[in-house]
Amino acid sequence: MKTFAASSALALLAGLGLASAALADGEFAGITIDAKLIGGQQYEALYARIPEWEAKTGAKVNIVSQKNHFELDKEFKADIASGSITWCVGSNHSSFAPQYPQLYTDLTPLVPAETIAGFVGANIAAATLDGKLVMLPRAQFDVSALYYQKSLYTDPAKAEAFKAKYGYDLAVPETWDQVRDQAMFFADPPNFYGTQYAGKEEGITGRFYEMVIADGGKLFNDDFSPAFNSPEGKMALQWFVDLYKAGAVPPGTTNYLWDDLGNGFASGTIALNLDWPGWSGFFNDPAASKASGNVGVAPAPKGAAGVRTGWSGFHGFSVTEACANKEAAASLVDFLTNEDSQTLESAAGPLPTRTAVWDKVIAAAASDPYKSEVLAAFQETAKTAFPVPKTPYWIEASNLIYPELQAAILGDKTVDEALQNASDAVDSLMRENGVY
Amino acid sequence: MYRMRLPPWLVLLMPAFVILLAVVAIPLVLSLYSSFTAFQLTRPETITKWIGTFNYQKAMGDANFWAAFGRTVLLLTVALNLEMLLGLGLALMVAKVTRGQRLLRTMMMFPMMFSPILVGFQFKFIFNDNVGLLNNALQSLGLTDVAIPWLVDGNLAFIAIVTAEVWTSTSVFAILILAGLFAIPQDPVEAARVDGCTPWQTFRYVTLPFLMPFIYIAMAIRSLDVARAYDIVQVMTAGGPARRTELLWTLIGRTGYVDARMGYANAMGYIAILLSIVFTVYFFRKLTTARTSLGMGD
Repeated sequence: MKTFAASSALALLAGLGLASAALADGEFAGITIDAKLIGGQQYEALYARIPEWEAKTGAKVNIVSQKNHFELDKEFKADIASGSITWCVGSNHSSFAPQYPQLYTDLTPLVPAETIAGFVGANIAAATLDGKLVMLPRAQFDVSALYYQKSLYTDPAKAEAFKAKYGYDLAVPETWDQVRDQAMFFADPPNFYGTQYAGKEEGITGRFYEMVIADGGKLFNDDFSPAFNSPEGKMALQWFVDLYKAGAVPPGTTNYLWDDLGNGFASGTIALNLDWPGWSGFFNDPAASKASGNVGVAPAPKGAAGVRTGWSGFHGFSVTEACANKEAAASLVDFLTNEDSQTLESAAGPLPTRTAVWDKVIAAAASDPYKSEVLAAFQETAKTAFPVPKTPYWIEASNLIYPELQAAILGDKTVDEALQNASDAVDSLMRENGVY
Repeated sequence: MYRMRLPPWLVLLMPAFVILLAVVAIPLVLSLYSSFTAFQLTRPETITKWIGTFNYQKAMGDANFWAAFGRTVLLLTVALNLEMLLGLGLALMVAKVTRGQRLLRTMMMFPMMFSPILVGFQFKFIFNDNVGLLNNALQSLGLTDVAIPWLVDGNLAFIAIVTAEVWTSTSVFAILILAGLFAIPQDPVEAARVDGCTPWQTFRYVTLPFLMPFIYIAMAIRSLDVARAYDIVQVMTAGGPARRTELLWTLIGRTGYVDARMGYANAMGYIAILLSIVFTVYFFRKLTTARTSLGMGD
């Protein structure tokens, strides 16, 4: 396995010549680019390529900060507030990007049009804010598909009992109503739960947001006034409430975020789990997951409007408006998101944002049924995926919405009260900031 | 040419003044000023947007802020009293130990050495409803067959947070009270015994009054700590779910650094400081009274 990985890496490195060919030798000699990048083991392989870019262009990259996105977000805000934006390249994320309307420059004039054309159109659209292309997406595209335990669908006794109770055949769910039925049917607390969901912060707001869309509603009107206090919003929130009340989800789910959810499904105690692509390898790894060998993956189910849930996001790299060497910085960003870089990153599991790399990844997985199933499910879900609303107040609005969603889920408020309170709070926020 | 000569005492004090001005006064004045503006971290130009007392009025009229305020006072009261009782018990027991006391004193301080973030993660795992140590132990012992939502139910989550606070800081009380026990003159204690006092009477009427100044000092120190409680709660529950464990500083921290509304966060912070001032003044008054009754005060 190690040999295979090493030879793959060598093959990839050999291919670097192609990507670097566009760079002129010593083009940026003597320039140092300061960068603030997302840190973590899974991101390091890409950063190992930076010396290649340095050797070709003569420039140097100085990584001045490496943190997770939440910490980087706080650091960026402090930099903006103190006027100390002395760095050029920053890791960005589609969920965070709308918060910094003045921080990053438009990459359109700095990157060749054919480079931009190589990305998935929806990703470029999501990376464009107020007409500015604020980042180039890297191969860290996130949308959630449905992981499930396959054995639950091969047990004739379960199939018979389910049909007797719900009146239709037990099969991998295609709608969120079916997920609700099946989650309640499979649940056997405290040892086994039907499903689970992220229960706090942007996690639950995002899940609610995609459910509202799938049910035919919307979170905000065009002027960014709240639109979720609607029949569709109530239907969406009721889904979360029903599952909690029925004991079909772990009682602590309102405190869970991504790691808790991933570890929960890997513990083998969860039947159905809407989750990100990055977990696919972990879930099927016998050393890490009790569900390994029993994991199926299906596209995200559809809501009442026949629309799939598809809250999506992706990582990217941006160039600051204050950067003195924007061309060099854009060249680095281009390099870190080019075909070779994306091929390298997506070889470890994350989804690419370049059309050509999608094709490569699918072809490479042809001999691995599990990987093919994973890719097919995520590719199908990605077709109708949508990013967070493009408002600088997304995170702030989310912080007002999620405690109300939790209050409804836990029974402190009714669905109507919770959505009314959340809607009033978001309305005040938008008015206070002069949005309308 | 006339050269102004500053008096030597002022020259000598100047470095201290400059440092105090730079690290205390300027940030304090700046944050106070920003609490009257619409300052947002992501829009530096808003620091000049004067909005008067709008932020204060908003905080005063915000039910969530007052709920967090009340919860912080409750946490302060419960945690401080529990820590005092447990610390007193611990100190009295350790004072009786004749061999290995130094080792015990060192071990007693171990929880204080842990980073609050680490303590938060440790107790978050212990109280996790699904894979947590406590629920697994209770289920294995047959004491329950349900997953108790320790960090979800408001009361249980409060108990979990108090447990983490008490675990990490009881030794502050124990160490200070132990120092007090070592400083007690033995004459009054022996006189009480000769006069026929029971051990309880000796403790209640002789030892405890001598310990009270030490207890109030520990109370004052810890009240400032707990009134600013953030790390442990942020890790364990982040103030949730549904604001059930929201404390002043989880709310203020999120408003300032996540929502980037620093002006509003500073206004809430200044109101919150009143809490610390009230508790500090209260404990210092009690300290003065206790010292006076021992003939130590003026």
